[in-house]
Amino acid sequence: MGHFVTSKDIPADGEHIAPGKLALPMMVCGVIALLGIILSVYLLFIHGDSTEVNQPADTVQGQYAYSWLFAFIFFISITLGGTFWMLLHHVSNSGWGIAVRRLMENLASVFPWFAILAIPFFFPEVQKHLYEWMNEHRIAGTGTYGSVTPEVKETLYANHQALLAAKEFYMNLPFWFGRMVFYFVALGGGIIWLKKISVAQDHDPNPGVERLIFSRKLSMFFLVVFGLTATFLVFDLVKALDFKWFSTMYGVYFFAGCVLNGMALLILTSILLRRAGYLQTVMSPEHHHVMGKLTFAFVVFWGYVTFSQFFLIWYANITEETSYFLLRNTGNWNTASVCLVFGHFALPFLFLLRSDVKKKPGLMIPITIYLFTLHALDHYIMVTPERGPSLTMFSEGGPQLFSTGNVFWLDLIAFVTIGCFFAYFYMRALTKSSLFPHRDPRILESANLFN
Amino acid sequence: MTPKRVYGYLAEFESASALYKAAEKVRDAGHKKWDCYSPYPIHGLDKAMGMKKSILPWLVFCGGSLGFLTAITLAYTTQVVIYPTVVQAKPANIFTTAAFFPIMFELTVLLSGFTTLFGLLALMGLPRLNHPLFESEQFARATDDGFFIAIEARDPRFSSEETKTLLEDAGGSNIELVEEPEA
Repeated sequence: MGHFVTSKDIPADGEHIAPGKLALPMMVCGVIALLGIILSVYLLFIHGDSTEVNQPADTVQGQYAYSWLFAFIFFISITLGGTFWMLLHHVSNSGWGIAVRRLMENLASVFPWFAILAIPFFFPEVQKHLYEWMNEHRIAGTGTYGSVTPEVKETLYANHQALLAAKEFYMNLPFWFGRMVFYFVALGGGIIWLKKISVAQDHDPNPGVERLIFSRKLSMFFLVVFGLTATFLVFDLVKALDFKWFSTMYGVYFFAGCVLNGMALLILTSILLRRAGYLQTVMSPEHHHVMGKLTFAFVVFWGYVTFSQFFLIWYANITEETSYFLLRNTGNWNTASVCLVFGHFALPFLFLLRSDVKKKPGLMIPITIYLFTLHALDHYIMVTPERGPSLTMFSEGGPQLFSTGNVFWLDLIAFVTIGCFFAYFYMRALTKSSLFPHRDPRILESANLFN
Repeated sequence: MTPKRVYGYLAEFESASALYKAAEKVRDAGHKKWDCYSPYPIHGLDKAMGMKKSILPWLVFCGGSLGFLTAITLAYTTQVVIYPTVVQAKPANIFTTAAFFPIMFELTVLLSGFTTLFGLLALMGLPRLNHPLFESEQFARATDDGFFIAIEARDPRFSSEETKTLLEDAGGSNIELVEEPEA
């Protein structure tokens, strides 16, 4: 227990990161992201395009589409995590995290920018490698963006795609495009709106509670939007890679990973900011303790949900369900999956059990970075095993399940590109406003947190 | 009339903050076997009393680990070693472990819960039928509006005069020597 924070200790204009302090890393990230995006456009649209229409091919373009999807889904999951914490914070009317709330808003505000990175998924040249169901639809005669007419349905049945015909209410091209737009417009709009309200409070000479109550009402609505977005975004982008697969836990599984890593990034950011000398008055080890507890809870939740998905499928033993895990329990993918069980669940669980560990920044930095690494592996196993079968990679022994060496470099290029893009906009958001809502009526309650 | 055994000194304090400050004084005097009594929990009082962290988390961890190992042993021995049953071509070897996770989880939680409950009761010395402090008339107010500190005679630093003056200096009033009831 330090000394009791009073309103005298809260700076009147909040704490801003000194201009120029983040200029160099921002510039580096921005330049790398820009170059990476240019390179990605070249790799996705220009380099080695196979002329076959609706035919996935084992080209650099096809391989890079998967790399792009993997990196995209990894980084968007972290921003979705920040979004969830922000919305939950408003809705639950909690006072402990007011000091951290602006960081949550900054993390969430990266989400709308991902609309730029989602643009490749709108092009048939990329879709044909990723989403077989679109190819089947187009072969059956929907045209590039057409809807499913009765004739198309007939053709689908004739092509032995009864599953697709049965799923056409959800899996049809116009609806897919509409959904993709909805995710970024609805949730992105909500995030921008909520952040605007929060920042406006910083400049209000007479801050009241109207904004907080309005934010809470808004968040109740946008929490529903968030739930739909987080679930169906991953359905449309990742689960649809294998349209024949059924799972009842996939949305929750993705959500658990999102929220866990959103919190991990919040912890990492707050620790780094405190080390740089910011947030000294309003944050204390108690906040790190609370956030560590939440991380711990979601480590357990992630393990619970992930195992539930595996377990239900394993026990039921239904062909349509087991395909996903048969692929991921083959050879080296199995090694990686077993790594997840111990690395993503058991180790962090044991590590985060002790309360004093959560209060030590020196120990929390490695564990958060470790969690990101394992989360990346998790998403890698979600996305990339589909690459071999989908692109029909052939080697001497028949169809190939694993990526060759140069594919790994493609994954790395996509990961670095989107990572730098993410970092650039995150740092940009951090520098744009005060680091904590210093005129929030409950900032003192948060500063004097004791748990 | 045999002399009764002395339980310790009981002193009343007028407010939570007075109790807090007195607790710091008693702590600094080096007493070990003593306790504060108040109608409601007071933030930071355990720190003012110089209480160490409880050993209970470690007990719970050991209990949970014991449950985990029990589950592994039980499931593996019965399902793999003694009587393997092949269902739907699922493996009957070490790879059956996926089916054991629920059992591992359940037994870990069960034994953790048991250890928590019974460890807590054991550490608190519950259940007990009576407590010597109930002999004191004024102590009944500890559940209403009274703040008390009781220093036990079992404490190595306890002495009939010094402890009394210590409590007086700390601001205690109505200091009384509580004696244990005759058996």
